[in-house]
Amino acid sequence: MRWFARRLVFYVFAIWVALTVNFLLPRLMPGSPIAGLLQHLSPAQLAANPGIVQTYEALLGGGHHSIWQDYVTYLHRIAHFNFGLSTSNYPTPVSEVIGRTLPYSIFLVGVAFILAFVIGTGIGMVAAWRRGGFTDSVVVPAFMTVSAFPAFVLALLGLYFLGLKAGWFPIQHAYDNDVIPAWSWTFVSSAFRHAQLPILAIIAAYTGGWVLNMRTVMVNTISEDYVGMAHAKGLHDRRVMTRYAGRNAILPPLNGFAAQFASAVGGLVFIEIVFSYPGVGYTLQSAVLGNDYPLAQGILVVLSVCVIVANLIMDVLNFVLDPRLRTA
Amino acid sequence: MAQLEPTALDLPLVAARRGINVGRIRVPGWLALLLRNRKSRTGLLIVAFMVVVALISPLISVAHPNDFNILATRQAPSWHHLFGTTDQGSDVFSQVVVGARRSLALGALAGALATVVAAVLGIAAAYVGGIVDEIVNLLTNVFLTIPAIPLLVVASGYLKTRGMWTMIAVIALVLWAFEARILRAQALTLKNRDFILAAKASGEPTWRVVFGELMPNMISRIAAAFVLVFYIALLVDSGLEFLGLGDQSATSWGVTIYWAQVNSTVLQGEWWPFMFPSLALGLTVLGLVLVLAGIDEVSNPRLRTERTERRSRLAALLGGKAFTR
Repeated sequence: MRWFARRLVFYVFAIWVALTVNFLLPRLMPGSPIAGLLQHLSPAQLAANPGIVQTYEALLGGGHHSIWQDYVTYLHRIAHFNFGLSTSNYPTPVSEVIGRTLPYSIFLVGVAFILAFVIGTGIGMVAAWRRGGFTDSVVVPAFMTVSAFPAFVLALLGLYFLGLKAGWFPIQHAYDNDVIPAWSWTFVSSAFRHAQLPILAIIAAYTGGWVLNMRTVMVNTISEDYVGMAHAKGLHDRRVMTRYAGRNAILPPLNGFAAQFASAVGGLVFIEIVFSYPGVGYTLQSAVLGNDYPLAQGILVVLSVCVIVANLIMDVLNFVLDPRLRTA
Repeated sequence: MAQLEPTALDLPLVAARRGINVGRIRVPGWLALLLRNRKSRTGLLIVAFMVVVALISPLISVAHPNDFNILATRQAPSWHHLFGTTDQGSDVFSQVVVGARRSLALGALAGALATVVAAVLGIAAAYVGGIVDEIVNLLTNVFLTIPAIPLLVVASGYLKTRGMWTMIAVIALVLWAFEARILRAQALTLKNRDFILAAKASGEPTWRVVFGELMPNMISRIAAAFVLVFYIALLVDSGLEFLGLGDQSATSWGVTIYWAQVNSTVLQGEWWPFMFPSLALGLTVLGLVLVLAGIDEVSNPRLRTERTERRSRLAALLGGKAFTR
């Protein structure tokens, strides 16, 4: 249990660092932070949003106090999920914009990343089991090659060949234009069809890493004595592979899951942009390009928290799978 | 970004220090070892090819890469325009070969900077131990937890200028943690070896043990970690440029893909403005990944793909001497 308590303390600390980095970023840039923000804006933007100066002042914690006072005010506001108003969606609060877009992203990256993990570790396991076999000499290099391409390139390739040329998948947005988001069959099925291609792109981009990772660990596990013992007992080959070697080999990749998830969240930004998918990644890019700093900061905080929650879930799973941790 | 992270970087390249003579040219030991492995040989060839292309790009690019020509817009690849032309009529081939310079330089320099930070922090922390190690380890883990791409996107949004050196510094600052984790773990395994203890016992100051004894013995691992961050930096930088958060006036692979996306060339069925720079980027990353995989195999023979079985099967298919292995 002490191990678990330590992890919890670490996550609280990580969230605090994420918040502090967020707070310091505009202040680290040379010059007055508020002037720096305002210089990005066109006169038309200033005229269209009368409250924009106040919004920025609020975002930076008031602007008239010492940096420490600002910092306390900032933490207090974030603790109440008050990220300020989005300047590009004025006067919608940032939390509302994020609440509208986050579910799409979580759905996309959640489904795709778990699929990539399952497929990748599965292939890695088989490849190590039969080294030099078909999986090892054809499937593994193929996944390695595909994964060398950045996520947005794979997304563009999928868009062009599978979406545009073959016409198998819809190529843009999260649902058909004439459908209203609601818990109805038409919406869910439409959303599902639109998610297929982005999910395929994420799987293509991230499976290769798992294949290599799992293969490496599995190759080492296979030569362990208990695997030889399982063979000697006359157990079925497949049972030795999955229950004996596989179950032990999956722990290191599982431990790396959280770090990989953080990078997948980054890849998601690109994939959403390629498919104009209205998730947080797409919103983040338009927020940064449109100088909507409250929204950009809010999304960064929320994404960091998402990654940390994923870490926490993995820790619990690890706790269940690895008996050694329970006694530590 | 897609990441193929090596698990074992413990390589005995230092051991093979003696060079080998091929004809008149003397090949250093580590290179000979890497060239003997099929994967790293392919990888090194790909990377070397890209570097050569980048170096000779002024000779092979047909025009200034960003010259536009309204009479020759959106042309499919042909003998005249090997990789076709963009919406503005710029020659994509020239953009790709000239862009290789900036993309490769940025990736390599950001990787190098991150390597320096990671090597100093990770190795020193592991050796000193105690509270310093705890702090560095904590910092590394925090940086690995905060998603790098969104952080970089927000940070580069605040930047007033996005010149090459600014981007190098920002990318290195975010990526050093990937390396620090690997190098720290390896320094931990080395720090209780006899030669380190001997240096310590003979009264060497800490900085000399770290920089004079520990670091030279980890040089091959540091090099491998550099290759890892090199390609991550390459991917991250092209990604930022693709998002419109790089230097849009420069010529690089990411910028070319950015304009292809902005002008929605893909949706209009023009595949060449995005396909060729993407292929160049992917090929380079593949080369670097193969080098890493080769290093992994050199250091851990178990990982090697066994080839004998397949050859005999091929022989059986050909009806030849199937059973005379």
